[in-house]
Amino acid sequence: MSTFLQGLALVSHFSTLAWCAFGAVLGIVLGALPGLTATMGIALVIPISYQLDTATGIGLLLAVYCGAVAGASIPAILLGIPGNPNAIATVEDGQLMTRKGLAGQALGGAVIASLIGGLGSEIFLIFFSPLIAKMTLAFGPAEKCTLSLVGIVIIAAVSGNSILKGLLMGALGFVFAFLGPDPMSGAARMPFAAYLRKTPLANGFDMTSTLIGLYGVSQVFFELDNLRQNKKGNICTDIGNIFPPFKKIVSMWKVILSSLGIGTLIGAIPGTGASIAVFMSRNAAVGICERSKGKLDVPGTGCLEGVFAPEVANNAVTGGALIPALSLGIPGDSATAVLIGALMINGVTPGFSLFSQNMPLVYSIFLTLAIANLFMALFQLAGVRLYPKVLLISQRVLMPIVLILSFIGPYALCGSSVSKGVFFMGTALFMGVVGYFMKKNGYPLAPIVLGRILGSMFEEQFRRGVKLGGGNFSRFYSSPICWFFIILSVLIVVSTVLRHRKAKKNE
Amino acid sequence: MKKILAVVLALALVLALGAVSFADFEPDYEKTITLIVPQGAGGGTDTQARQLVEAMKQVSGFDNIIVENVTGGSTGIGTNQVIDAEPDGYTLLMYGTYVICGTMTGNTDGYKGLDFLDGLSLEPFMIAVPTESPYQTLDDLIQAAKADPGKIVLGNAGATATTGVVAYGLSIACDNAFNVVPFNGGAELIPAVLGGHADAGIFSQSEVQANADGLRPLVFLGDGHSVIPEFAEVPNMADAGYGDLVVPGGCFRGICTTKGSPEEMEKWVADVVEEAYNSELFQGWLNGAGLLGQFSKLEDFEAFNLDMIETMKPIIQATGLAVGEYAE
Repeated sequence: MSTFLQGLALVSHFSTLAWCAFGAVLGIVLGALPGLTATMGIALVIPISYQLDTATGIGLLLAVYCGAVAGASIPAILLGIPGNPNAIATVEDGQLMTRKGLAGQALGGAVIASLIGGLGSEIFLIFFSPLIAKMTLAFGPAEKCTLSLVGIVIIAAVSGNSILKGLLMGALGFVFAFLGPDPMSGAARMPFAAYLRKTPLANGFDMTSTLIGLYGVSQVFFELDNLRQNKKGNICTDIGNIFPPFKKIVSMWKVILSSLGIGTLIGAIPGTGASIAVFMSRNAAVGICERSKGKLDVPGTGCLEGVFAPEVANNAVTGGALIPALSLGIPGDSATAVLIGALMINGVTPGFSLFSQNMPLVYSIFLTLAIANLFMALFQLAGVRLYPKVLLISQRVLMPIVLILSFIGPYALCGSSVSKGVFFMGTALFMGVVGYFMKKNGYPLAPIVLGRILGSMFEEQFRRGVKLGGGNFSRFYSSPICWFFIILSVLIVVSTVLRHRKAKKNE
Repeated sequence: MKKILAVVLALALVLALGAVSFADFEPDYEKTITLIVPQGAGGGTDTQARQLVEAMKQVSGFDNIIVENVTGGSTGIGTNQVIDAEPDGYTLLMYGTYVICGTMTGNTDGYKGLDFLDGLSLEPFMIAVPTESPYQTLDDLIQAAKADPGKIVLGNAGATATTGVVAYGLSIACDNAFNVVPFNGGAELIPAVLGGHADAGIFSQSEVQANADGLRPLVFLGDGHSVIPEFAEVPNMADAGYGDLVVPGGCFRGICTTKGSPEEMEKWVADVVEEAYNSELFQGWLNGAGLLGQFSKLEDFEAFNLDMIETMKPIIQATGLAVGEYAE
């Protein structure tokens, strides 16, 4: 208890609160701007955190982290452009809700979901850290490979009406994923390798630029089309209630719990990340809602469930990613990797020794994380009435701004490396054209992003798993976790096919 | 009052300048010196760069020094950016063993396009196993590997990372007895070894330190013994009975700049870095992080680098990753 009080003393300064508040606002703004990621936001404030007390500095970093993950939902809901990869699964239902005139509820719901995810995963972090850290150690390459397999079959499930089109786009995502350095040897793997290996393409298509291109740039082209045909976009500026009814939230407890669990666990497994967590939890929510006998709406129809599931999950990832970061010194995602670096610059070595030697600091980290989450919710909620004003702006003004932001984001990713920045802008433009033609012809965007992310993960972990077994599959069939995921994959495929058959019969 | 202030400021300036003895050369104080780190923010290389820059600002009075992380292409992208920069000596590279790997594997022109300023440090590696592992010594591990070649997994942080070179080097020296598996950085290697997915791994000391309850260091790969008290007892290669194996013992780091930069500027930077290296701030950090200081300057650093290249060439060749002249 005395160590807890010492921890409390470390954070109970006005400056800690002020910096947390600043970090949360900065994070929300960065998260809401397309292409600016949580990782970048943290890197941006490291120099500031260096000047502050350790506990205050860490509070600032955590606030930026939470804010950026939560803020990404704002453009996803209003414009259909995710601020960063954390919000890709929020786009579909968020957009549908906005069109229905429920933008206020979607935005408010996203904030509450983020708060539940953030604080919920923190409870796991505080009480079950050692246990979960041990659990994630059971995830070796073979297990991660089969986990990504689950994600891949979800491609079929998120494909909307046409499984075939979805799978096709998933395959295209895989093609994009396979471009770049060979994950095992680092050898250049691309056409014209002799020339391209010294360009930024040596790293393949950058993930963030790809995402911004597919969702942001393509959206601008699409609206441009509408303007030319003088079609009035059916934008609804009435935002309705901000707070979703309390009863509704309570009725979704199963969705919330499953998303919280999935987000925390996936966040805690290094090398996986929020993108897979949000789609998995959304998929789980579909199952739960279908079995609810009409009490809950099924995600995909423009309902609060479809916003809650991914938004709980992506903020649960933040707490989850801190579990291995603090208890093992291993980053759960790229944002926590930067965070660990910042901790070390601040003179704190995360890991075993942190818990055994510096409990007050650990408590202060827990406290600032809670404070950061509360500020995040407070500030984002404060603006909910404001954000939808964006929709009042004429498309003729708004779209050029979106286009500019879509290029600034990828460019800013590269610091002052001009050639790389220009290349990333080119990637965004290329993907924008690809995305435009896909949208126009009714091909879904989500599978291509999922394929891009999971393709890399599947290939890398598959090859490493086989290499670990000395060239055979022994690591796969000797692991119960692998069997679990393989069976889960089969079940998802079967249930998706059955669902589609049923839907066809009903038509 | 103003006068006193002016005198104090002037004095401070004189003292600051006097602290470093430069020839007549003065850099352009309006310009910015950029130290490019070809690895991500927060890693060991990045932390060292940031510490060095703080010390450089202190000793030189030159405030416009920034660190920039340019990642990708197995450190090739950042390295190429320095090679292609204006040769004015204001763009510096955090050079390291990884640049040699990148040069031999064809990701960058590497050391051929660079001028060498200061060698700084060696970060010694350790081989560690999970605490519950049956292998108590390096000999146990190597004997087990030789008894059933390809069964014992030796993990590392990536084929073109320095730990990768060390792992391949060790395995080759043991008649390819190990199953050398590259992971995606320490972040994936540590849990894989802790979770028993790999039998042993090659780590930096700070990585082992952070997981002291889960990892058991078998051998210290640097010269002599660790300067970190808790690892001082860990045997080195000679203690372990494998003194005759030639394996790179760690990652060395230094400062380079674009080839063909003005000689006076190179000399000035090299002097400032030397002063910064000897500062209390940098030395304190170096010891705390368990790194071995190993300073060399200009032509000495270049000669040191040539030695390193000779050691690494046969290993990179044996991995099959070498291209062009290095493959022969």
